[in-house]
Amino acid sequence: MALLDIKNLTLEISGSTGWMKALDKVNLRIEEGEIRALVGESGSGKSLIVRAIVGAIPDNWRITADRLTWRGRDLLTISRSERRKIMRSEIAVIFQNPVSSLDPSATLGEQLMESIPRQIVADTWFWQRRKKRLQIAIKLLHKVGIKDHQKYLHAYPHQIADDIAQKFLIACALVSSPQLLIADDPTRGMEITTKIQVLKLLSQLNKTRNLSILFVSHDLLAISSMANKMTVLYCGQTVEDGKMVQLRKRPLHPYTKALLDSAPSFRKDLPPKSPLTTLDGTIPTLQHLPIGCRLGPRCPRAQKECVKVPELRHVQDHFYSCHFPLIREKE
Amino acid sequence: MMLTQIIRKFNLLILTLFVLSILSFLLVYLFPGDPLVNLTGLENLSPEAHQKLAEIHGFDHSYFYQYWLYLTNLLEGEWGFSFSSGNPLWREIMQTLPASMELSAYALLFSLLIGVPFGFIAGFQHYKLSDYSLLTASVVGYSIPVFWLSLILILVFSLQLGWFPLSGRLSLLYDIPHQTGFIFIDIFLSDVEFKNDAAKSAVQHLILPTLSLTIVTASIIFRLTRRSVIDVMSSQYIQTAYTRGLSGLQVVMRHGVRNALLPIIPLFGMQFAVLLTNAMIVEVIFSWPGIGNWLIQAIFQRDYPAIRAGMLAVSTLVIILTVCTDLLANLINPALSGDRRAQI
Repeated sequence: MALLDIKNLTLEISGSTGWMKALDKVNLRIEEGEIRALVGESGSGKSLIVRAIVGAIPDNWRITADRLTWRGRDLLTISRSERRKIMRSEIAVIFQNPVSSLDPSATLGEQLMESIPRQIVADTWFWQRRKKRLQIAIKLLHKVGIKDHQKYLHAYPHQIADDIAQKFLIACALVSSPQLLIADDPTRGMEITTKIQVLKLLSQLNKTRNLSILFVSHDLLAISSMANKMTVLYCGQTVEDGKMVQLRKRPLHPYTKALLDSAPSFRKDLPPKSPLTTLDGTIPTLQHLPIGCRLGPRCPRAQKECVKVPELRHVQDHFYSCHFPLIREKE
Repeated sequence: MMLTQIIRKFNLLILTLFVLSILSFLLVYLFPGDPLVNLTGLENLSPEAHQKLAEIHGFDHSYFYQYWLYLTNLLEGEWGFSFSSGNPLWREIMQTLPASMELSAYALLFSLLIGVPFGFIAGFQHYKLSDYSLLTASVVGYSIPVFWLSLILILVFSLQLGWFPLSGRLSLLYDIPHQTGFIFIDIFLSDVEFKNDAAKSAVQHLILPTLSLTIVTASIIFRLTRRSVIDVMSSQYIQTAYTRGLSGLQVVMRHGVRNALLPIIPLFGMQFAVLLTNAMIVEVIFSWPGIGNWLIQAIFQRDYPAIRAGMLAVSTLVIILTVCTDLLANLINPALSGDRRAQI
């Protein structure tokens, strides 16, 4: 059974021009132990999906879905407290900008120790609990690769580096040994060496703890080095979904192809000093969404039929939604 | 690190006071008329007497010498004499300043006790009915002129209802010798009978002036607190604290309150300056024997030495308090004290 199963998730935001579909029938499935990448440009709705899963929904948003289940339990209908329980013990989230995710006026040690739930230290007497918490905290820090725990437990967030902060948040997330870690662009704005450290840590946790990861990013290089599967999102619609290897080798959707082509590291045949291929135009705003396939106006292969939303089709476990996929060329 | 902070703030304090002393020194020459007359209040002097006074005040020397003379006199507590009463200014200020400090301190205390809790309530409930009603009340409180409010309070509570006395600091029945200038301490130290009754009378006299000062300041503090709470509660670390599995109460108590208060503590110190200005107006209306009342009388009578000394005393007080709250805020805020990580 899938851990997280999302089918036809639609998220509407109420604005001055009525309800706008920020997410339109998004599908996403995360199996146990896999690293699923969620890719898309800025503004494509990646973070909205994360918020829909986490349940941080403001009043002027409306969510409808055929399925939004966590291990068979419907997240849309369960009570708030039950949902919070799931968020507390089974799903963990880490965000971009790790330093601003930490309380600036408390030491890292305080923050890590308070994340340790009471149940874990319940078998000790109350005067031993602090010591026990400290032991657990130190162990967790070692696990995420912070060896110099003495130095960092008493540090404040403004005194530490970005990657230490992100590792620290991962340590906080691991306290309750969750099954799914949602990483919302965890390496944004980091320099390459610190980024690699965080990514290595994530894939190592995936292997040693069988931790599923939903990796939200637009950094294709990072994704391709660690993810097993990938979902491509464009403007609130899932355009393609499949195994990382397959997607890279033979993308079926024109958008995925354009996305991969835009990253120079994926193109070995690229001659020096040649211009990079890009799609014309920019991602449309929520107020001016095209009907049908939202890629329509920018798509090099668009035809008359594209004003209708394409059905989700698949070749084995490779899903795509396009009227004119790149398959046909070969046939 | 902590010591460096203290030394730096102390330097700032000394330098500001130095500039202030220069300004107050210059005031004598900037006032209209003969500086010597402004300084002593003696007019129609005979040439010999004029000559003698000029020697005493160093007028036959350079300005630097005069300033030096002025500064040494200031530090020795010889602030000159008032024209109108003929008393030494230092003694008059030491009698009036504590009364103003007392009034402002109580007003600030009550403003904090009212403004901060309501600010938190409104901040947590923001954009709901309770927030809007508190915000409306604060706009009203903020925009009422202090003198008008004091007059209304007098009209209602002392003239019509007769609950509180009209003016003054203590009923004339009690004769409390002046020791520190703070009325409750003086009552406690004195050996009159009916100490309790005297204290009760002092409280009754305090209520109306404190109230009229509190309403304005409490609204400002309320607005500062509310804004800060809203900002902090929508910040990312609060959101993350929820996903780290803390309950709502834990998040608020451990991360919300402290972070909301840290940035506004220096602002509270700044409010003291505004409060003191308002207190001067209130003192006049309630005939409160404070420095504001005294200073305004001095201005009416063109008592130049008194104006100079009074302004110096009030601004010194404000500067010392501002620097102290600033220092306190820096010392308790870990993001401002302690080492920072170098950033490119």
